[in-house]
Amino acid sequence: MQDISLHLLDIIENSVRAGARCIRIRIINDAQQNVLRFIIEDDGCGMDSETLAMAQDPFYTSKETRVKKVGLGIPLFKQNAELCNGRFTITSEPCLGTVLTADFERDNIDRLPLGNLKDTLLGSIVGHQEIDFYVNLISRDKGKEQSFHFDTEAIKEELGDIPLTYPDVIEYIEQSLIEGIQNTYMEDV
Amino acid sequence: MKTLADLKKIREKAQEEMKLRGSNVRMKIVVGMGTSGIAMGAREVMKTFLEEISQRNLTDVLVTQTGEKGLSSMEPVVDVVEEGKDKVTYGNMNPEKVKQVVVEHIVNGRIVSDYVVSTGS
Repeated sequence: MQDISLHLLDIIENSVRAGARCIRIRIINDAQQNVLRFIIEDDGCGMDSETLAMAQDPFYTSKETRVKKVGLGIPLFKQNAELCNGRFTITSEPCLGTVLTADFERDNIDRLPLGNLKDTLLGSIVGHQEIDFYVNLISRDKGKEQSFHFDTEAIKEELGDIPLTYPDVIEYIEQSLIEGIQNTYMEDV
Repeated sequence: MKTLADLKKIREKAQEEMKLRGSNVRMKIVVGMGTSGIAMGAREVMKTFLEEISQRNLTDVLVTQTGEKGLSSMEPVVDVVEEGKDKVTYGNMNPEKVKQVVVEHIVNGRIVSDYVVSTGS
């Protein structure tokens, strides 16, 4: 993966496959504490402790149809976080859901760029209309905090039976995300 | 700033349109978004479909993402599903090919056979 937002996309798809109805994504860019933190929380089927341990093994996958049993998504994300002095944790509870946290040392030379967060979020939101997304972007620098909150539940309520793939709606969501990413200075992290 | 009031206008416009031509989904596009697809550029493929739909004002096409389906060597992979017809699967996609598929297949109903990797259910 070339950037962290591609990992984020991969993790979102894991939540989708876990049957999540609601996915919360929090990204905190904290210059003071020198950390770039990702928290992805879903209400999917969750994992028991045995499966959770295996999920971090590159030769484990939950995909039954696979001939080659490889599952690189989580191990690669973990590796990239740990490579730059970060931390990676997953906690999960069967039937309740999963919370994944990845910390990256912000100024580490090996840290991947955040990349195109807007495209990751736009594709996931529009491509999974049945799921409610809550996105929270927070930046902290020099004692100031900027935040952006985006939630698809309110949008769907306003739209009624108009799908999110309706052309003007795609544009609306895209513009909202661009504004939020700019306001929290995440376009070039 | 985008506000919920903007959405209300969009909804009114969309409802007017639906009165005229119904609310049928004519075609469904499914972009494979598994780990290998993402690593091979599936996000840009998805993004290009959304751009094209928005620019060409295609109101009867649905785009969704899905996990991978065992065609890892041909990622990014895209299915085009149309009611009453065989599913068409395109492989090794990129933004340029997406634009071609939208013009030829989605808009004009001609399958771009050069990029097809499988057909049928």
